[in-house]
Amino acid sequence: MRVTANTFPNNLLDELTSLSQRQNKLQTQAASGQLVRLPEDDPAAMRRILDLQAQGKSVAQYQRNIARDQELATASFNSMKALKQVTDRVREIAVSTDGLESPEDLKLYAKEVTELIKQAVQTANSRNGADYLFAGTLSDQPPFVLTTDADGNVTSVAYQGNTVLAENEIASGLTLSAQAVGANTSGGAPRGLITDSRVGADFFNHLISLQNNLLSGNVTAIANTDQPNLDKDEDNLLFHLGSNGALQSRLEATNALAAQHADTLDALVSKEADADLAQTLVRLSQTQTAYQAALQSAGKILGSSLLDYLR
Amino acid sequence: MLGLFGTLSMANRSLQTQRSGTEVAGHNLANVNTPGYSRQRVAIETSFAIPTPIGPEGTGADAVAITQLREALIDRQIVSETSVRSAYEAKQQGLEFAQAALGQQIDRQATGAEGSAAASGVGGQHGIAEDLSDLFNAFQSLSTDPTSAIERQALISKAQNLATQFNQVSSRLSSLRSSLNDSLTSDVEQANIALNDIARLNDQIMTTEAGGKGQANDLRDLRQQRMEQLAKLVQIDTTTNANGGVDIAIDGVPLISGPKVLDTLETYDAGGGQFLVRTVTGGATTNIASGSMQGTIDARDNDLATLQTNIDTLASTLIREVNATHATGYGLQGTSGENFFNGANASDIAVNPNLADDPSRIQASGTAGAVGDNTVALALAQLADQKQSGLANQTFLENYGQTVAQVGQSLNGTNTQLTNQQIVERMLLGQRDAVIGVSIDEEMTDLIKFQRAFEASAKLITTVDEMLQTVLDLKR
Repeated sequence: MRVTANTFPNNLLDELTSLSQRQNKLQTQAASGQLVRLPEDDPAAMRRILDLQAQGKSVAQYQRNIARDQELATASFNSMKALKQVTDRVREIAVSTDGLESPEDLKLYAKEVTELIKQAVQTANSRNGADYLFAGTLSDQPPFVLTTDADGNVTSVAYQGNTVLAENEIASGLTLSAQAVGANTSGGAPRGLITDSRVGADFFNHLISLQNNLLSGNVTAIANTDQPNLDKDEDNLLFHLGSNGALQSRLEATNALAAQHADTLDALVSKEADADLAQTLVRLSQTQTAYQAALQSAGKILGSSLLDYLR
Repeated sequence: MLGLFGTLSMANRSLQTQRSGTEVAGHNLANVNTPGYSRQRVAIETSFAIPTPIGPEGTGADAVAITQLREALIDRQIVSETSVRSAYEAKQQGLEFAQAALGQQIDRQATGAEGSAAASGVGGQHGIAEDLSDLFNAFQSLSTDPTSAIERQALISKAQNLATQFNQVSSRLSSLRSSLNDSLTSDVEQANIALNDIARLNDQIMTTEAGGKGQANDLRDLRQQRMEQLAKLVQIDTTTNANGGVDIAIDGVPLISGPKVLDTLETYDAGGGQFLVRTVTGGATTNIASGSMQGTIDARDNDLATLQTNIDTLASTLIREVNATHATGYGLQGTSGENFFNGANASDIAVNPNLADDPSRIQASGTAGAVGDNTVALALAQLADQKQSGLANQTFLENYGQTVAQVGQSLNGTNTQLTNQQIVERMLLGQRDAVIGVSIDEEMTDLIKFQRAFEASAKLITTVDEMLQTVLDLKR
């Protein structure tokens, strides 16, 4: 091939351009640590990365949902524990009336029971943030409303929540509720914390009955009716405490799974998107060497011609 | 027999011949860097011979022509390959703009505020993908705490980000479309200028060459260069005539016949701002096979149009699905039936201002009065995983991912095609340069060659002069 005055500069320019482009690309890869940055870099990988990153974000969101549910479950647990303390004390009172004849003593107990009812209602009306814990989805109003007579004795405790539980998504397609409803007299799910018709739990009414029987000195009714009823209430409360424990460990397990999933996703994204730094840097230095060689040889060749030897 | 005076005149002609040799070499050297220049050679022939008793006797040499070294075949190939390369370049440029307009990139180093995903290690994505994920995650957050004013405000802000992102992408794509139209119009103007130039050069070449006075080398170089410039814009068919003129046709329509411009090009709006090219007089739409005009039209009417449709379909499906679910819910004050998004597509999607002004109106609850109910918020969040029939049975994010991949695929493919085409063109240009390019070494050698011959011819004159002196001295 005939080599002309412009062959060298033209070829040199072509080579330098392509080496510069390659250096630029490798330098960007080394600096960002990424093999894929723009859709044109690797369209198929770009799509996979977008999908994986979206999954990663969902998992992070599920973890936030789980954290929120854990917070709710813990708050519910604390209230249940407080209610359990009330049942313990009330059952103690119910048992200790056995053989007590003095109406004054019984009235003293009745007074304590009245206070315990008020305390229990207060506990059952606990809130997490602005929301009442045991009101179902009618969470903007206290679930239990207490009425007293002129003597300060409790006459009724009415439930004004509903039996609907708000469920959250804690993994793709998996929803659950960390809530418990205050009362359910429909005979269906979910089970009420204070009142549940299926298991015969009706804590507040049973307490009111105990209070009234104490006031009237009807120890037989206490022994025969109130005590068995309170046993049912305690069983119901224990069932809820147990469920809450199960829920918390389930949330814990789901969270661990989500964390594991996030790690896997990270590894997958890394495989698709991240540059192998060692390889990139080796290639970059190869390209730099080629670039320098091109410049050096060009400097020698372009600088000399026949003119240097003519006088 | 030439005789002494004949020899003197032979030496004189020889001086002229060698001088024209140095002149041509000098012309070559002067044009060593002129684009499109093809090297010239002086053709030297022996002069007519005089019959003598001892046989025909030479009378020296004459410079008979100045020829240029051109390879018509390579020239034709370069004209056609230039069109192809230029089409890919224009398409690449259009697609690069489209990719930029989409603004989608992966940022593995993203931390904190740039994306919640960053916290989980997968890195952030800038663009619609990130905002779309954020919207559905904000619905999730609201579903875990439907009465929270903070979650409601956060949801509005995420939804507004997404709407703004859609609006921006849409407006960038629209303005890209009109820029491509502008670029097409400017290409057409340049093509018309080139057509006029070529016709004028045809005229000059034909006039110069009329009467067989040799080729108008430099004018032909200039014309070839103009034809290559024209071919960059639009693919042309050329026919070389015996009189030196070149006829040019585009899509079978003759535009130049020798010195005459028969027709020129113009752009017209084929409807909806879709600019196309037609001939002015003939008025027929020109199907351009390649050249930057074709690349621009291709990028605009295929990839860019698809991208715009995809983004609009994504936005309109999102508006429809979110609104359909949202409308069934109730706000914290029991309001119902309001849209979440207003607008019809990517260009005008916006968060319903009623909700933006008062986020408590977001209809997260499925039951009137039950503020703790989250069924609608949860259903909205779960839209993220639902396959949409309007989006080819893909989820919103999958569909967007495919749109991004399509743009990437086209650009990536065009990059490869352009690189391949550049290699072909570079090889052809190299081949042509080997034929027509000026070599300084060659020209310097030629200069020495002609200089020495010139000196020798001068020596002949002094020799004949001395001989004449000798003859004259005989008389003394």
